[in-house]
Amino acid sequence: MSTRIALTRADWLAVILALALLPALYLRYWGDAGPATAVRISASGQPDITVPLSSNRRFTIHGPLGDSVIEIRDGRVRFVSSPCRGKECIHSGWLAHAGELAACLPNGVMVSVLGRDRRYDSINF
Amino acid sequence: MSTTVTTTRHDHRIAWLTALGITIHIAESVLPSPLPGVKPGLANVVTVVALLEYGWATAAWVALLRVLIGSLLIGTFLSPTFILSLAGAVASLTVLRLASWLPGRGFGPVGYCLVAAMAHMAAQFLTAYTVFIPHDGLFHLLPVLMTAAVLFGLVSGAVSHLALQHLRQRGALTP
Repeated sequence: MSTRIALTRADWLAVILALALLPALYLRYWGDAGPATAVRISASGQPDITVPLSSNRRFTIHGPLGDSVIEIRDGRVRFVSSPCRGKECIHSGWLAHAGELAACLPNGVMVSVLGRDRRYDSINF
Repeated sequence: MSTTVTTTRHDHRIAWLTALGITIHIAESVLPSPLPGVKPGLANVVTVVALLEYGWATAAWVALLRVLIGSLLIGTFLSPTFILSLAGAVASLTVLRLASWLPGRGFGPVGYCLVAAMAHMAAQFLTAYTVFIPHDGLFHLLPVLMTAAVLFGLVSGAVSHLALQHLRQRGALTP
């Protein structure tokens, strides 16, 4: 019994297209999310605030535990202070790239950096 | 009053092929998978062999019956798994139908399995994104899922090719 596996012309075409599609998918969905353009601050029970990343200002968001202070400066954003216990939000440091997130879950505040591609949806508390 | 249902050879053939597909499907379901949706999909071999030997209509019956009965036996009927399975089956059957219209020699088993696997995975992903998890982060999985689809599509294509060759040489496929 012969064990050669013969592929037709159409088969080869399909294989080539499939193998060409794969790297395109990796580039598109694993690659750079594009330049960061804006910051979205989401807090539970309040409408989202979206501001350009170029603005140099601070926001004070009132949450159930108290006030979280968020600073945007030099194209980066971070949590400055928050009334939570663990301070993981502050420890996330400066966010500068599209798709990056920092959140203070106990206080219900989330900061996300937006870019050209809508990589991540917002999280609802 | 009694009623008799006469079954045809066609019915029997579909029943045998479906039973074979279900067996492979269930046997495969015990294998752990690293990611939901990543599985060898070897039951598709039966579908593609049926397609090449007996035509699309038979293949469609076999595939759809397998999804239905397989889900009843495993216990996932009408669950999200079933919805995804059905979406994948419908999409891959549609693509197989379209592919079979290709003029000339057309596709062989490898080509059919490859395009069916990719259509299956793409449809499942789209269904999962639209119906169950409308979160953009899901797209991070797409390249990995499609890689698995291409890989396992080629493997099941090779298996289909060898199976068909073997069956034809033995004269095991009755008209």
